[in-house]
Amino acid sequence: MKIAVFVKHVPDVAEADLEVAADGRTLKGAGLPFEMNEWDRFALEEAVLIKDEVGGDLTAFLIGDEAAEESLRRCLAVGADRAVRLWDEALSGANPFEIAAAMRGAVGDDNYDLILCGAQSSDYGYGMGGPLLAEALGINSVALVNKMKVEGSKVLVTRELEGGWGEEVEVNLPAVISIQTGINEPRYVSILGIKKARKKPIDVLDGAGVDLSSEGGKLVVESLQAPPLGEGAEFLEGSPEEVAERCLALLKEAGGVL
Amino acid sequence: MPKLSDIEGVTLAERFELAACLQCGRCTGGCPMSIRSPLNSRKFLYESLIREDGEALLEREEVWDCTSCRTCSSRCPRELDPAMVMRAVRTVKIEGGRIPKTLMDAMESSLKHGNPWGRSRMKRTAWAEGITVNSIEEDAESERLWFVGCTPAYDPRAMGMAKALARIFEVAGVDYTTLGSEEVCCGSEMLRAGEEGLFEELSEVNKENFAELEFAEVVATSPHCMNTFIADYGLDIPVTHYTQLLAALAAEGKLPFGGESEEVKVAFHDPCYLGKQNSIYDAPRNVLKAVPGVELVEFARSRERSLCCEGGGGRMWIEGMGEGERNAQIRVRDAIEMGVDVIATACPFCLLTLEDAVKTTGSEGKIRIFDIAEIVVNSIDGSERSE
Repeated sequence: MKIAVFVKHVPDVAEADLEVAADGRTLKGAGLPFEMNEWDRFALEEAVLIKDEVGGDLTAFLIGDEAAEESLRRCLAVGADRAVRLWDEALSGANPFEIAAAMRGAVGDDNYDLILCGAQSSDYGYGMGGPLLAEALGINSVALVNKMKVEGSKVLVTRELEGGWGEEVEVNLPAVISIQTGINEPRYVSILGIKKARKKPIDVLDGAGVDLSSEGGKLVVESLQAPPLGEGAEFLEGSPEEVAERCLALLKEAGGVL
Repeated sequence: MPKLSDIEGVTLAERFELAACLQCGRCTGGCPMSIRSPLNSRKFLYESLIREDGEALLEREEVWDCTSCRTCSSRCPRELDPAMVMRAVRTVKIEGGRIPKTLMDAMESSLKHGNPWGRSRMKRTAWAEGITVNSIEEDAESERLWFVGCTPAYDPRAMGMAKALARIFEVAGVDYTTLGSEEVCCGSEMLRAGEEGLFEELSEVNKENFAELEFAEVVATSPHCMNTFIADYGLDIPVTHYTQLLAALAAEGKLPFGGESEEVKVAFHDPCYLGKQNSIYDAPRNVLKAVPGVELVEFARSRERSLCCEGGGGRMWIEGMGEGERNAQIRVRDAIEMGVDVIATACPFCLLTLEDAVKTTGSEGKIRIFDIAEIVVNSIDGSERSE
């Protein structure tokens, strides 16, 4: 089986003091540590598990600049046979339609049976990459999958719905499946493993050949703002015991909870 | 999954000369984990040596219970190193990628943020806000580096150690500087958890920092940082623990302790990385003895026989398989039975495991846990307030 997985290199913004850049539409990214998007870690693990179970080869794709190759090396370290990176400066700050066009361009004429990607990315969270890629390739697509099993030319998947519901879907291959977190337990990738993977080649594709002309206007970010400061917030100060007591008193006052 | 024999192309038995093992059981007999976990170092050595399929060791999840206190290695009459056998098994498990999730998070955070607590590099000096702390980031130059450590820098409780030390250094006029937010995890726990590659990455950064800034001496808050600087870094400058510096200051009369104070009965809990692994037993006791009002008493298990708190070897991030009462809980109960008011220690991990144990044994109000630096500061600043 020919399997592909798409991964993205994203900033870790936990505890970061984010600031909107001068253009008013993007965030200042300087100084933030980057890592593989959390959803993609699950997609990668699932891809490796499927490859181990049914056999075949696994290609890892990434749309990003050279610094983002770290995430591709993780793919190679856990069992991807090939890694492909596509980039062009025109993709910097691209909208999800443009990114999907680039993903389509990276896949080229290789007919993959199964393409996995994370259900969304932790930076912009559009959740559109997988479905748009399937659309561009003209193949099936299932999103938010938290359980899957390949059976011959079909995949049986469970989609996560709201309220704890699940929807079971049988889908014919080829297909793009976007993976929800929790589907598996992504393995640890050791530093030694990543170092060994540095010796493996990464195919770099020039993204300049991807036609973005019809995609740019489909989604335009007008402006970006920090959430407005709310009113009525009270910072409780003191020892943990004092804070807990005050907290309890406030909950009792407010009623309805205790 | 990689194989145990993949390490350096030799079997564990060859690598650690296990043919010399007598199976005398001294290692297991002294192991602080064997009382509550299936961990059995003697079995690990035996299976490495005898079983054709030594790879079966990789199935033993209890390898994560080892606190790498090194009691086993210190007791071996043949000078073998069971603790290193545990670490080697962990290393192979790590290369296979199947490790406890909490440990995985700590390792990834160490690489990404330079600390195992999942906190931002930018927040490393948050503990120092509003107090006097020398730092290279504020152009404070010194030949003596105070290596604060991740846990004292980030953990709300262990921060007490860092704040207390900064205060002591200030009042005693100690010449020092810190690396501020440039400080990076020493890697001790990552190495002992078996992640050798990560240790290399982290230690390289620190070694470069130390060399570039031409420090002549390193003083560490944590015995774990101190130990790895001594045992694993191969530095050519002296590395000491803060209790050694405080003991010297106390002996020179440079710690302005408060005069009158209530009598407090204090038992000192020896951290394994300070005592068993570096034979520093007297310095922390000498500091405590110098504090007015402190009556120092000894646990039945103290010094070389001290009971490990279970915080080492990466165990701060591994739940472990052990059942029943934790060692730190045993320690707290013992101290209460001895009529002790305070358990003093000199390690951020011991401080946290003992604090936890006070809560989990329902002993709040009966006993308190302090780091030695905090006890010293309580005496110093208590005196200032009364003036």
